[in-house]
Amino acid sequence: MTSRNARGTGYRVRRAELWRFVCSVPMNMSAYPLIVIWTLVCILCFPIVFSFWRIVLGWEGDRTMRLFVWLYGRGWLVIMSPFVRFKRMGFDKRNISPPYIIVVNHRSFFDFWCMALLPFSNVAAALRSWPFKMFWFAPFMRLARYLDVESLGWTGCLSSGAEILKKSGVVLFFPEGHRSRDGKLQRFYFGPFKLSEETGINILPLCLTGTDVLLPPGHWWMMPAKICLKALTPIDPKDFGRTLSHITLQKHTKAMIAQGLEELRKA
Amino acid sequence: MTDEKVIEIIDTSLANEFELDIEMMVPDALLYEDLGLDSLDRVDTVILLEQAFKFKIREEEEIRKIRTLGDIHVFVINKIHNLRETEGDIT
Repeated sequence: MTSRNARGTGYRVRRAELWRFVCSVPMNMSAYPLIVIWTLVCILCFPIVFSFWRIVLGWEGDRTMRLFVWLYGRGWLVIMSPFVRFKRMGFDKRNISPPYIIVVNHRSFFDFWCMALLPFSNVAAALRSWPFKMFWFAPFMRLARYLDVESLGWTGCLSSGAEILKKSGVVLFFPEGHRSRDGKLQRFYFGPFKLSEETGINILPLCLTGTDVLLPPGHWWMMPAKICLKALTPIDPKDFGRTLSHITLQKHTKAMIAQGLEELRKA
Repeated sequence: MTDEKVIEIIDTSLANEFELDIEMMVPDALLYEDLGLDSLDRVDTVILLEQAFKFKIREEEEIRKIRTLGDIHVFVINKIHNLRETEGDIT
């Protein structure tokens, strides 16, 4: 009886996998061209819309650019939505309001695009140098004053990050630095925690799941997925005292994210 | 603090933080190739050293020339000696 149940479950799993692969064909055939078209449309419209926004509404250049990046991401969410189910949890406007230093786990190239799920647009990402080498994105990233952590060095990152936070912005970090290849959390770099310690701004830990199903590292063929972005309780650096607080913050945040991911996995 | 003690603190701090085997912590070990560190780990190393020895080194040009663990040992020992001399001059 048990063996018959196991065979039945195995059959259902294989059938679901086959169905996902069948769905992935129209997904890849449509989503990639649409992303390219959407990117080109945004690039072409950018000078007019950007100038209009700055002159008419008087927004600062970097703030305006971050809004456009967020809107571009929202477009990506629409393109992907027939094949990807997006879910956002834990963002309650009464409790979550910037400035924040966001810390999120990293599993896929598309993780950054998923940040369009955030309920706020004034987000500057702190990234390694390689994304700044994509010539079609780099000018916009520089205009948005994203932090190139490898080139800026610690002092440059700290001052630029502090300036963004002072204007009620958000600085986003993938503290693992690299995409996880096995789904496990890697070592967290000190950067976001040192920034939190020195500015006194709260850390907002996020758990992101499902992007490794959508597009794992080393792959280009997308698969349908369920993506969930969950906000955990913000962490106040002042709760950790002054001595070695960035190290304690780092360990505490990593433990929270690990637990959050485990809960999402079980759910 | 003796030079041996300084070396021990450096090796232990780095091994603990970067989850490295203490046997790997030999002076000739290249930071990138042998210990598997990267440019961001280098930034974290500076933060660790500042924390461990209570000095500021993040803006020093010498850091850019560091290639091996032995270079870190020499850099920190020299820094501590220089600080002692400066303090001695003041007093």
